Amino acid sequence: MSQELLGTLLVAGLAAVDTVPLGQWMISQPLVTAVLLGALWRDPMLGLAGGAVLQVLAAATLPLGARTPEDYAAGGVVGTGLALALAHGHPFATTRDAALLLGVLAGMLASLGGIPLTRWQRRRNEGLARWCEGRVAAGDEGAPLRASWAGVAMAFGLGVVYCALWLVVGLLAGGRLVSGESLRLARAWALAQPLWMGFGIAQLLHAFLRRRPRRAVLFAVALMGGWLARILEVA
Amino acid sequence: MREPRTLRGRDLARVAARTPLFQAAWNYERQQGVGLACCLQPALRRIYADPGERAERLAEHVGYFNTQPVLASLAVGAVASMEERRAAGGPDAPDRDEIARVKTGLGSALAASGDALFWSTLRPLAACLGVLAAQAWGSWGAWTLLLSYNLGAVTLRVRGVWMGYRAGPGVLSARLRARIQSAIGALSSLAVASCGLLVAVLLVPGPLLRPLGVQAALVAGMVAGLATAARPRPSATQWALVLGGLCVALTWR
Repeated sequence: MSQELLGTLLVAGLAAVDTVPLGQWMISQPLVTAVLLGALWRDPMLGLAGGAVLQVLAAATLPLGARTPEDYAAGGVVGTGLALALAHGHPFATTRDAALLLGVLAGMLASLGGIPLTRWQRRRNEGLARWCEGRVAAGDEGAPLRASWAGVAMAFGLGVVYCALWLVVGLLAGGRLVSGESLRLARAWALAQPLWMGFGIAQLLHAFLRRRPRRAVLFAVALMGGWLARILEVA
Repeated sequence: MREPRTLRGRDLARVAARTPLFQAAWNYERQQGVGLACCLQPALRRIYADPGERAERLAEHVGYFNTQPVLASLAVGAVASMEERRAAGGPDAPDRDEIARVKTGLGSALAASGDALFWSTLRPLAACLGVLAAQAWGSWGAWTLLLSYNLGAVTLRVRGVWMGYRAGPGVLSARLRARIQSAIGALSSLAVASCGLLVAVLLVPGPLLRPLGVQAALVAGMVAGLATAARPRPSATQWALVLGGLCVALTWR
C-alpha cells in the first residue's frame, strides 16, 4: 500500500503543476487523475466512479476574472485517492461505496481548502517576481526562466504536502467509519451519487442555456434521442 | 537605422516552447509579467546584440501583463514582432509606450475572447465528453477529455506565436473574433447535446433501467442545480457538500 500512496502523492504533485503553473493540459482534471490513480491502485472502476462525480462538479467551476476557483486538481486526487485507499483490500460492495462517499466528500472539502492555499501561493510568487525584476535589472537574462521553474517546483511541493495531509487525516478518520458504518454510508452513496451528477450537469447546462431557447430544444432532443436509443438497444 | 536582425523560425520555436510556462509565476502584482518575459527572452536575445540594451528591454516586460494563457501566444508573437521593428529603428519603429499600450489592449481583448472560448466553453465541453465516454468505455473517458481539449488548445498555443508575429498588433482582427464567436456557438451547442446524452446514459446505463429512486435523485439533483446556478454564492461545491450531508442524514437510521 505504501507504494500506491507514494504514487498518489506524485500524481497530486503533477496535478498541482498542471492546473496553473505548467501547460494547463487538463491532466489535473479529476477524471484524468482518477484514471491514473485507478490504474495505480489496480481498481479502475472505483477510480472512475469517484472521478466522474468530481469531474462533473469541477466542470461547473471556472477560473474567470479575479475569482480564485476551487482547487479541483487537489480535490480530484484527494477524493479518488482516499476512496481507493479506504477501499483497498475490501471486496464487499458496501465497503467500497462507503469509501467512495467519504472520498468524494473529502475531495470537495479539499477543493474548497485549496482556495486559500492558491492565494497564499500567488502571494509567494509576488516575491519571486520581485526577485526576477531585480535580477533582470542587474543584467541576469536567465532570471525569468529560473523564476518560472521555481514557481513550478513550489506548486509541485505544495500539491504533494497538501494531498499527504488530507490522506493522513482521511485514512485515520475514515478507516473506522468505513469498516463500522459501511451499510449506512453505502446507502448514502446510492442516493448522493445520482444527486451530485444531476446537480453538476444542471450547473453546466445553466451556463450554456442562458437566454438561448434553441439550445434548450437541442438538449431535450439529445436527451430523448439518447434515451430512446438506449431503450431500443436494451430491448 | 541599424542593420536589422530578424527573427528566424527557430527563434519563434524557442519562444513557443516556453509558452507552457506562461503562468508559472502568476501573482497578484504582475500577474503573467514574468511569464511574458520568459517567453520573449529567446526572441530578444536574437534581436538585440548588446547585452545591456537586451536586459533593459527584458526588464520592461517583467512588469504587469495579463491575458488568457492559450491565446497569450498571439500576444507574445505580436510583441516579438514589435520588438523586432523597434530594434531595427526608423521613423515607424514603435517606442516603449506604444508597445506597452499594445500589450494592455491586446491582453484585455485576448482575455475576453480566450476566457469565453477555453474556460467557459471548451473545458466544460471536454469534461462532458470525457464523462460521457467514461460511462461507455471506462478509462477512455480520460483520453477523450484530454484530446478534445488539447487538439485545439495546444495547436493554437503553438501556432499562435507565428500568427501573432506575422500579424503584429492587429492579430485579433475582426475576422478572427468572428471565427472565435462562431466556434463558441458551435461548441456550446455540442456541449448541450452531450449533456442531454449524458443524462440519457445515466438513466439507462446498461441492460436495465436504473431504479426509480436513482432516477428521482438524478432529476432532483438537476432541479437543485438549476435553482442554485444563478447565484454566485454559495458556490456549486458548497451546495454539493450540503446535498451530500443531507444524503448522509437521511440514510443514517
